[in-house]
Amino acid sequence: MMEPIDIGLWTSGGLLVMVLLGMRVAFAAGMAGFVGLVWLRWNGFDYDPARFGKALEVSVRIAGLTPHSKVSAQVLSLIPVFILIGYMAYYARLTTALFEAAKRWIAWVPGGLAVSTVFATAGFAAVSGASVATAAVFARIAIPEMLKIGYNKQFAAGVVAAGGTLASLIPPSAILVIYAIIVEQDVGKLLLAGFIPGAFSAVVYAVLIIGIAVVFKTVGPPVKGFTWGQRFAALPPALPIVAVVVIIIFFVYNPFGEAWGTPTEGGAIGAFIVFLMALYRGMRWSELKSALLDTAKLTVMIFTIIWGVLIYVRFLGFAELPAAFADWITSLTLSPMLILVCILLAYAVLGMFMDAIGMLLLTLPVVYPAVMALNGGETVAAADSAFGMSGTMCAIWFGILVVKMAEFCLITPPIGLNCFVVAGVRDDLSVQDVFRGVMPFFIADAVTIALLVAFPGIVLYLPSLVG
Amino acid sequence: MAGSAAVLEDSSLLSRLDRALLPIERFCALLSGLAIFSLMFLAAYSVVGRKFFGSPLLGYVDYIEAAMPIIAIMGVSYVQRDGTHIRMDMLVGALHGRVLWLFELISVLLILVLIVALAWGAWEHFDRSFDCSRPLCSRDSSIDIGLPTWPSKLVVPVAFGVLVLRLIVQAVGYGRALILGLDNPVAVPLTLTVAEQAQAEASQLAGHE
Amino acid sequence: SATEWNVSVWGKRRAFTEHIEKIAELVSEKTGGEFTMNVSYGGLSKNRENLDGISIGAFEMAQFCAGYHPDKNRLITVLELPFLGVENLDQEVAVSHAIYGHPAVQEEMAQWNAKLLMTSPMPQYNIVGTGEPRDELAEFEGMRVRATGGLGEAFTAVGAVPTSVTATEAYQAMESGVVDTVAFAQHAHLSFGTINQADWWTANLNPGTVNCPVVVNIDAYESLSDEERAALDGSVDEAITHYLANYGELLKKWDAILDEKGVTKVVISDEELAAFRTQAADPIRDAWIAEIEAQGLPGQELFDLLTTTLAQAKGTN
Ligand code: NA
Ligand code: NA
Repeated sequence: MMEPIDIGLWTSGGLLVMVLLGMRVAFAAGMAGFVGLVWLRWNGFDYDPARFGKALEVSVRIAGLTPHSKVSAQVLSLIPVFILIGYMAYYARLTTALFEAAKRWIAWVPGGLAVSTVFATAGFAAVSGASVATAAVFARIAIPEMLKIGYNKQFAAGVVAAGGTLASLIPPSAILVIYAIIVEQDVGKLLLAGFIPGAFSAVVYAVLIIGIAVVFKTVGPPVKGFTWGQRFAALPPALPIVAVVVIIIFFVYNPFGEAWGTPTEGGAIGAFIVFLMALYRGMRWSELKSALLDTAKLTVMIFTIIWGVLIYVRFLGFAELPAAFADWITSLTLSPMLILVCILLAYAVLGMFMDAIGMLLLTLPVVYPAVMALNGGETVAAADSAFGMSGTMCAIWFGILVVKMAEFCLITPPIGLNCFVVAGVRDDLSVQDVFRGVMPFFIADAVTIALLVAFPGIVLYLPSLVG
Repeated sequence: MAGSAAVLEDSSLLSRLDRALLPIERFCALLSGLAIFSLMFLAAYSVVGRKFFGSPLLGYVDYIEAAMPIIAIMGVSYVQRDGTHIRMDMLVGALHGRVLWLFELISVLLILVLIVALAWGAWEHFDRSFDCSRPLCSRDSSIDIGLPTWPSKLVVPVAFGVLVLRLIVQAVGYGRALILGLDNPVAVPLTLTVAEQAQAEASQLAGHE
Repeated sequence: SATEWNVSVWGKRRAFTEHIEKIAELVSEKTGGEFTMNVSYGGLSKNRENLDGISIGAFEMAQFCAGYHPDKNRLITVLELPFLGVENLDQEVAVSHAIYGHPAVQEEMAQWNAKLLMTSPMPQYNIVGTGEPRDELAEFEGMRVRATGGLGEAFTAVGAVPTSVTATEAYQAMESGVVDTVAFAQHAHLSFGTINQADWWTANLNPGTVNCPVVVNIDAYESLSDEERAALDGSVDEAITHYLANYGELLKKWDAILDEKGVTKVVISDEELAAFRTQAADPIRDAWIAEIEAQGLPGQELFDLLTTTLAQAKGTN
């Protein structure tokens, strides 16, 4: 007989091999979980050949009920709704409106159009749940305008690729919902927690751009000459974004009184408003149908990873691996902060090669309990904890850090998807151009992450208001 | 991210089977999309009902939970058809010819084994909740309004059944390419480099404008 | 060789799971470590799939609540009918175990390969609410209440609107005004934080409770050695005693917690309670019996068993 933990480790190794060999991540995880369940049970029967059938049968039943059981949760309904908002916002032409407004209001600063692009992507992030879509959309709108007034094309491309990553921190965010579900934390608080770090990232990007534009005068000339009338005229088309943002915030946390409802409801109402807007702007059935098919496709892709990985997680539960890893991490003699930094660095490396959602789903079931244990447990009080925050707050803080890491990986070579998307949209840009242009933003992201680690208050201020 | 690829077509039996399956898959995916759309209306209706008429929708959570398998799983085969399910293609992206088809074939056969097992288990999960000697054939019901759970459990084996057919088509497609040493086989998603994928995605968005 | 059982429960370790922790400790002690239980909080199954898990042999022991899936366990839902008149946890144990002992009930659970081992007695689901205290029947009209199963039906009968939110969303739902009131046992009001939103708590509404048995997989039970089986069966009473003592401590603190949080204790008059019972309890009970009898099951007999057991239990304490 083997120890369950060894079976857990061997099976996890097998999963890694399958993923490296190019098997679809969702099915590789499901396969690892299923094989692990059979192995674990047959191991329990001392590998008696007569009882292999029984081991197989029970494992088939456990694995087979998982997809239905795991996806039938009300909170998961946020993911498709958030994806739908993004597609509808595109048909409602909210992107163009945002960029125009940002340009008229803030392009007078050094590096003006690039700064406007960053804030327009941040605004679009407030109605879009996915980063890659944001980058693709702004590559078409913002890059040509920047090139027209003499921007360096690599720099212009880098701005868009980096700006796109904001969509996953600023709510609505599919990836934050996924994090909340894996670690069983309050979705509302996590979404709320994303606001300030998201806006903060945007500000760090803007400061960086202004700095570069001041030092290298040729990089981005300011754009002046808009009248106040023109500025105010650009606002109404972008207003639905404000409405959606206000609604989602107020459904989670209303500073003036009772919140309006649950995050699920807020997301749906936001989508509904954008839908009306898209109808008004001329969306018809054929467009709606393709928006629905696109939404369904992305949704199914995400959910397949979710249930696939959860079959694997179910197996890990029987093998008791997460508890063992948490014990190991807490037994290390290094300081908790150093271990946390090592975990974040490991995510940076892994993220160079993997998709963000797949990466989080595969690693969090093991890493999250370890981080919580490191802080002193799920129910620890702030005063007794390693990081100076309660268990719940630690879960939120770590979630934002991990999502920011995952976003960082969207712009790092060799598989920075945002960069590929931007290069794909523009015939005159190679992938290498975009990677070169995005490099200054690595520094910005590193600074942001370091500040979020050093000053958790940036993340935890809003959620702590909710209590 | 979603990186869908091209599926070539010709007049062979395999390609015709591929194209015969496609409308079924697209219909399933559209069901998923429509379920998402109704989710939006359901939530809007529930909030408006509560805020303005003091009458929230009874069983709101039960309806959403019943719809989730349609949203999450019904389109699984449509997504497999053009290779949108994500993977790490560092290795397979560098391969070509027979070695590539061998890796793809092994991958698809492993998925086939998994999905057959899951379809069997999912069917039993449905079967445990289904008993037609009882009212509404229900042997399992939801928490708030006692909705029978068997219809939503049945979604899973049905979706997996379609996926099994798709995987058989793809296995034959890769097997054929492996034996005949084809360059551009039909009925399977062709591996594109990441850059080509991004191009495809970008042009898809362009089409919407 | 050593026997190790996996036990599937959910949430965190709390008063509601203390008898399971205790029985695991007792069987291990009595068998000299030969028979151990590994209690998993959510790692093995979702709470509403625990009975499925027992049925397929995924684990050997599990806890679930009847109201999660009434059609899976029609007969034990008799214990969740509103206004049964159960006054304390001892009475709750007595009626639950009497119902669990009925052959028809055992037969229904055996269809899931499950044997009822013991109950997890819960006090009455009194409500906490926001705003002005509601102490008259008329004030329940239009009240948005988080209540499930038979309890939800009872509130519907007096014009309230049961609103479905999960237990974990209850706090948020209360804060956001999705519901005005939440019906829970005391420990749940504490662990889900609804007490922190409350302005008042009904001390004597006693509308009913949920019933959450602990079951074991029949095959696993039968393959235990005689010594192991004796250790398991013989530990039930002691585990329940431990549970009751532990919950008793929590209830003692309850009044102090109400004071500390400034929550008003609402006492409803006997006339109002009687009116509530006539409107809600009687029709729901009659409908339950008719529905169960229509399926060829002994609904009336079970209800009578419950009333006589309750009368006896009240006579002896
Ligand atoms: Na967003
Ligand atoms: Na990367």
